[in-house]
Amino acid sequence: MTRTDRRNLLKAAAAVGALNLAWPLSAGLSPAQAREAAEALGADYDPAPFTLGVASGDPLPNSVLLWTRLAPEPLAAEQPLPEVVEVEWTVALDRTLGQVVAHGTAPASATLGHSVHVPVQGLRPDTRYWYAFKALGRTSRVGRTRTAPAGGARRVRFAAANCQAFHDGFYAAHRGIAREDVDFVVHLGDYIYEHGQVGGVPADHVRDHEGPSVFTVADYRRRHALYKGDASLREAHAAHPWFLTWDDHEVVNDYSGTGGGAPFMQRKAAAYQAWYEHQPHRDDGAFALPDPEIHRVRRWGDVLELTVLDLRSYRSGQNLPDGTILGEGQKSWLKRGIDRAPDAWHVWANSIMLSQLRGRPGGPYMFTDQWDGFLAERKEVLGHVHNSGLEDLVVITGDWHSAFVDDIRTDFDDPTSPVVGTEFTAHSVTSGAYSADWNRTNGPLMGAANPHLKYFEGNRYGYDVYEVTPERFSAHMRVIADRRDPASPVTTLTSFHVDRGSTGSYEDPATKHSPAQWRRE
Amino acid sequence: MNLVVNGGAESGPGGSAEPVGSVTGWVVAQGAPALVGYNVGAGYPTPADPGPVRRGSRFFSGGESPRTALVQDVELPLTGTTGRAAVDAGRVRYTLTAWLGGYAAQEDGARLSVEFRDAKGTPVALSVLGPVTAADRGARTGLLERTASAAVPPGARSARLLLVLTRSGGGTSNDGYADGISLGLTATAGATSTGGRT
Repeated sequence: MTRTDRRNLLKAAAAVGALNLAWPLSAGLSPAQAREAAEALGADYDPAPFTLGVASGDPLPNSVLLWTRLAPEPLAAEQPLPEVVEVEWTVALDRTLGQVVAHGTAPASATLGHSVHVPVQGLRPDTRYWYAFKALGRTSRVGRTRTAPAGGARRVRFAAANCQAFHDGFYAAHRGIAREDVDFVVHLGDYIYEHGQVGGVPADHVRDHEGPSVFTVADYRRRHALYKGDASLREAHAAHPWFLTWDDHEVVNDYSGTGGGAPFMQRKAAAYQAWYEHQPHRDDGAFALPDPEIHRVRRWGDVLELTVLDLRSYRSGQNLPDGTILGEGQKSWLKRGIDRAPDAWHVWANSIMLSQLRGRPGGPYMFTDQWDGFLAERKEVLGHVHNSGLEDLVVITGDWHSAFVDDIRTDFDDPTSPVVGTEFTAHSVTSGAYSADWNRTNGPLMGAANPHLKYFEGNRYGYDVYEVTPERFSAHMRVIADRRDPASPVTTLTSFHVDRGSTGSYEDPATKHSPAQWRRE
Repeated sequence: MNLVVNGGAESGPGGSAEPVGSVTGWVVAQGAPALVGYNVGAGYPTPADPGPVRRGSRFFSGGESPRTALVQDVELPLTGTTGRAAVDAGRVRYTLTAWLGGYAAQEDGARLSVEFRDAKGTPVALSVLGPVTAADRGARTGLLERTASAAVPPGARSARLLLVLTRSGGGTSNDGYADGISLGLTATAGATSTGGRT
C-alpha cells in the first residue's frame, strides 16, 4: 500500500467513524483480527513465527548478542505456541549462511514471551557476520551484525536514534539507519510510549496505539509488538548491532525507578520485563530480571570508549538537595571509569539532556526531569571529569525531540568555567516537536539564556550519524523530509566537528548556513 | 523439596525489627533487611494477621532502607527425576511460592522473582510474584500467598531468586514483608517443549 493510499484510507475511515471499529485493536477483536486490522492500517510483520524480526546487540571483540521472539500472533496476549520452543541459531561469514562459524539451540519460554537471547562467543574481532533462527519448521530473515575491533581501529561510525512515537509518524529515519554504513546503532530511549490512543487520525497522526495505557506484562508485550510492526524498525535492527539505554516512556512519563508504591512497582517490573523480551540486550548484571542492568562500558578498538548510562532505574525525585539521577552505585561506577579511562574518545549514551537549559534569560529551567533537576550531582560528576583530566568527552542525548549542540561546562552559570566536553542532542525519529512558531520564537530566547548553547533546530525529524577517527569526532544530523512518508528521503542538515585534544565544537563551513532556529555565531 | 535456603527467615541473626547485616542463605545485595519476629508487635504482622498457616517465628521485612534486595542462587540437581537429563528432555516443571505483604493502607511492598539460567548465565525463564498492593490486602496488615508454575526450559542449570522489598513515600520503615518462600521442581510425564527441526 502506498503512503497516499494508506493516508486516504485513514482519512476515509476517520470520516465515517470506522477508526473506532479498527482501533483499539483489542476491543472485540480476536488477535488475528487485530493483526489484520493493524496491517490494513499500516503495520506489517515478518512471516510467523518470527513476526517481530531479528536483532543483534552489545557487540564485543569476541561476542555479540542475538535476539528474536516467536510471536505468530504479535498482538495476542498469549501466543499459540507450546510452553517452551526450541530455537536453532546459526552465525556465518556470508549472507547465505554457507560459511557457518557458530550454531546452537536456545529455549524460547512462554515466561519470557518466547524470546531468545543468545550471547554468541568465540567470534573474531572486527568481523562482519550474518545470522538467522529456525523454529517450528520456519526460518527467520537473515540479520547482519559485526564484532568490535580488539584494537587499532582507525575509524568508527555509528548512528543514534531516540523517541519514536508510533502514532506520530512512520520510521523513515530507521529506514535511513538501516542503509547507513555504520558499525553500530545506539538507541537513546523512548523506544515505545506507554499511553493510550491519541486520536485525531489522520490530521495529526498517521496511525495510533492499539489500545489504552499499558500496565501489565501482556500490555507492554503488545505495545512493543505494535512498534515492531514498522518494517523500517525491523530493518534497522537486522542491519546493525545495537546498544540500548532507555528513558521514561518505556515505563511511564517522568518516572523515578526508586519511587512509588506497590502498584507502580508492579508496572515497572512488567515494563522492564517486556523491554528485555523485545531487545537485543545482554543481561549479565549483578541482580536478575525483571531488573536488567543496562549501564555498561564498551570499547571500539582504541578509538572509542562508549559508556551507556541508565538515568531511570536508580534516580530519586527531582529538585532534591541530595537528589540523584544516577544512583549512588552508578555514580561511583561512572567516576571510577573516568579515573581509569583510556586515551580515546569518551562517549556517554545519555537518554536525557545533561546541559543546563533555561527557557529565557533569567527564567527557570525548562525541565527538571533532565539533569537540571539534579544540580548537585551534575556539578559533582562534571567537576570530577575536569579534576581527573578527562579529555575528548562527547555526550549523545535524546528525549528533547529537537537538535541541540552544547558546550559542557563545569558550571553552566559561569561562562568562564572550563568546557569539558560537547553534548549532541539528536532530532527524534518521529515524536512530535514544538511548532515552527514556537521554535522560531524560543530558539533565540534559549540561545540568549544559555551561553553554552551553540545550536538549536526543532523543525525536523531524523537521527545522528557520528564519524570518529583518532583526530576528529563529527556529528552529522540526518533529517527526513516528511515523517508521514515511510520512505521519506534522508538528507544531511548540518555537521559539527570536535577536534581531538581541544574542547568545544564547530559547525562545518559547508552547512553552517542551513536552517536553524538558533546558531551562535 | 524446597530448594530455597532459609525461605522462612527462621535462621541466623534477627528476631527484632532491627536491620541485620547478613542473612543465612541469602546475599544482601542492597539495603539491610530485618528478620522480624511475629511477636514483635508495634504494627508488624502478628500470628493473628493474614499469612502462612505454618509461619514459624519470623518473616522478612525491608528494615529501614528504601530498597532492600536479597539474592540467592540455586544450583539445579545434577541427577534424579528432576536432574539435568530430565530438564533437558523437557520433563521438569517448577513452582515458585511466596507470601508477600505490607502494612495497612501503605504501598510498601515485596516482590519475589526467579530467573532460570543456562550454563552461561543467560536467562531462559522468569516468574515474578507480587508485590501485593494495599488493595489486594484490603488495606490490612498481612501477607498473601502468590504462586507461579512453568516448565524448566532445556539447558537450565541454575535459578536466581531475587527478593526486593520497597518503601513508598516517606518514613523510615520499609514495610515490605515476605515469608514462606519456596521453589520446587516436579517431574512430568511428557515433554513440555517442542523441537525446532520439525
